[in-house]
Amino acid sequence: MSLVRNLRYHFMKDLGSPALMRFSRATRKRRSRQPNPNFGPPLEASARLKEIMTRHYFLSRYAEGAKPVAWVSSGAPVELLRPFDFYTVYPENHGALCGAQKMGPELCSVAEEHGYHQDLCSYARIDLGHYFSRKTPAGKLPKPDLLFASNNICQTVVYWYKALAHYWQIPLILFDTPYNFEEINGIDIAYMVRQFEEMIPTLEKVSGRRFNYRKFQGIIRIAKEASNTWGEVLDTMKARPAPMTIFDAFGHLAPIVSLRGLPVALEYYRTLLGELKERVDRGMGAITNEHKRLMWDNIAIWYKMRDLSNLFAARGMNFVTATYTNAWAETIPYMAESRPFESMAKTYSLVILNNNLNHRLGLMERLIKEFQVDGLVIHSARSCKPYSVGQYDLRRLLMQRLGVPSVVIEADITDSRAYSEEQARIRMEAFFEAMGV
Amino acid sequence: METITRSYPPARKDYLRQQKESHGRKLFGVFPAQYPREILWAMNVLPVEIWDPPLEVSHANAHLQPYICSVVKLGLELILQGKCGDLDAFLFPHTCDSIQNLASIVYDYLGLDKPCYFFYHPKAPYGSASRVYYMEQLKSLVSQLEKQLGLLDLSELNRRVAHGQRVATLIRELYELRTRGALSLSNVQFYKLIRYGEYLHPDDFIPLLERFLGESKAENRKRPAVILSGVLPNPPEILSLLDQFGVRVADDDLLGCRRRLLEPPGKAEDPFEILTEGYFNMPPCTTKDSPISERLDYLIEKIKLTGAKGVVFYMVKFCEPELFDVPQIVEELKKRGIATLVIDLELNQGLSGQLATRVEAFVEMIS
Repeated sequence: MSLVRNLRYHFMKDLGSPALMRFSRATRKRRSRQPNPNFGPPLEASARLKEIMTRHYFLSRYAEGAKPVAWVSSGAPVELLRPFDFYTVYPENHGALCGAQKMGPELCSVAEEHGYHQDLCSYARIDLGHYFSRKTPAGKLPKPDLLFASNNICQTVVYWYKALAHYWQIPLILFDTPYNFEEINGIDIAYMVRQFEEMIPTLEKVSGRRFNYRKFQGIIRIAKEASNTWGEVLDTMKARPAPMTIFDAFGHLAPIVSLRGLPVALEYYRTLLGELKERVDRGMGAITNEHKRLMWDNIAIWYKMRDLSNLFAARGMNFVTATYTNAWAETIPYMAESRPFESMAKTYSLVILNNNLNHRLGLMERLIKEFQVDGLVIHSARSCKPYSVGQYDLRRLLMQRLGVPSVVIEADITDSRAYSEEQARIRMEAFFEAMGV
Repeated sequence: METITRSYPPARKDYLRQQKESHGRKLFGVFPAQYPREILWAMNVLPVEIWDPPLEVSHANAHLQPYICSVVKLGLELILQGKCGDLDAFLFPHTCDSIQNLASIVYDYLGLDKPCYFFYHPKAPYGSASRVYYMEQLKSLVSQLEKQLGLLDLSELNRRVAHGQRVATLIRELYELRTRGALSLSNVQFYKLIRYGEYLHPDDFIPLLERFLGESKAENRKRPAVILSGVLPNPPEILSLLDQFGVRVADDDLLGCRRRLLEPPGKAEDPFEILTEGYFNMPPCTTKDSPISERLDYLIEKIKLTGAKGVVFYMVKFCEPELFDVPQIVEELKKRGIATLVIDLELNQGLSGQLATRVEAFVEMIS
């Protein structure tokens, strides 16, 4: 690591980014929007969220050469990287950002020009498009020293990171999580624990730091507390009216994905939770007229968030839960500071996308009951096969068991070329009719 | 050629019925791709692989989205059309996201009265944990199977492991003859023969391979050579077209064929160790997450050995594991002056006029 770059990084961390935050706050005041009558007042914590994520991406520009940089998949056990002081960048989070900024088609096209098929995951195509063009709404992403992925969310992420490893010529560490077809047994756990042990020498080599077990345990503690708090944040939406919408939650998810194991994520979710509890106490809803409560299945359609949010709110429909946001809270009870490796193996291998469809059915049934859900919107995402394969059956079974009406929207997470406005409109109108709104 | 044609075994359905009736064998429907067939043979089970049944997809569309590959769709269609009545169980190796979820749909949602087994194989890059785990997985599979089939006889496993090696040796010889241009089989005949391995028992497959080896040696070197990469040689019409244009497939990197070929055994004596060695020594493969550099080195080595002038990538539409590696491999091959043709098709789709023209243009380039 270079001393000059290190000094520059710390200068930016201590002086540059606070100045940027001050500037950002001042600009935001000048840009205030006309309130939408279908929504309650915006969450105050959102401003803090924006600051945290802006600072994270801003500082990442200066991390290259100052700190070891790792690009990490959303389901990877990042806690193991934290004791080595890696600056972590999440290409999936970056993909969502590009999607929300409607840059998906442009970056995907760049990857397609280099031979990546349009049928491939659009997060991957955005990331590869960024590799070829260096275009990003974040200004600049640091070149990674290491890639760290787990196939607990999909196998696709490994194919994608393999491509990155080949282009960047850097090591790829894979945390291989056996799929939970019936149960994750002792053999599976032992395999995963041994993988953690085998990763440490590589992490030491790339970072130039020795592994500190006690520090690692402290990080596990913080990560667990942050995920628990995130779970409590989501639970506030059990209240009627719900104090936020799932579209808000898709945004507030960013720190638990990207900054897990760091105190800033925990601090943020405590602030958010405080505000949400206060809203619940005051009976303040995220939308002004909550008639129907909905569940969302799959990753967000990032380029349609605002449109969908407005469309449903205008009909008094609020999304109060999602299988996606729940994923960063569901398995956290397994995490234990006293047995960090074993507990991480369980926590990460039992996440929704590495779990059988029977588990998903049970989870959705539970969420529907606990959150008093009236209807289900299923995003069939071309990019995400482990999330999407099985949705048609889930829909049928949930209708049979709980009589919950649902609609399937065929779309994509970030590539708007896969979204048919007309088809989605027709399907949603039929759904609204079935819901009586 | 007539002799060779006479050597073909009975049609698949008749053969399976015969296996049940004459040998009392259980039949397992096995989805692609990597699994320890020797264990099944040792337990008097005939693995019957399900890759591309010749069906029209209709029922499966109620369960699977339009963007799911036809290997998965056709496999599910086969079950939903009630054509798996003779099968006693299913085995799903962990090949990709779509097969993983298909396994769960079949097991958790379809309510079939047949056991479903799942086989997870570790993914690269491998550490020592991967080897230990693979062997544990083999033993764990045996324990599960024993509940349905009774205890595994270790001496029988040893015998069947030896049969697996014999099959691999014979197939390797065929591949080597072909590489040297010393095999008289056409491209279509060669893959028809190799694909018998998807359901023939080694007691029948070994003699068949031996017969073909004895009868198929002939000088065949002058034709321009290509290598195939991808999932499996379907649609076979492309093979016919290559035959027609006088192009010899000199080797392949197909998941259903060469990528599953065992290397000669090492020093191990324990059958589980031999199987473990076999898995880790197999050629690099997308379904095992092999690094692109390994796949590239493997292909380049084949190109050098065969003198092939081009590589045809035989892609199944929506197959993510394969499609992700193609751009980098194609780019590197082009840098080395190797012609490439990427074909992206649904299985059993046949050959369109446009595709035939593309193949013809490719052949002109390498001739």
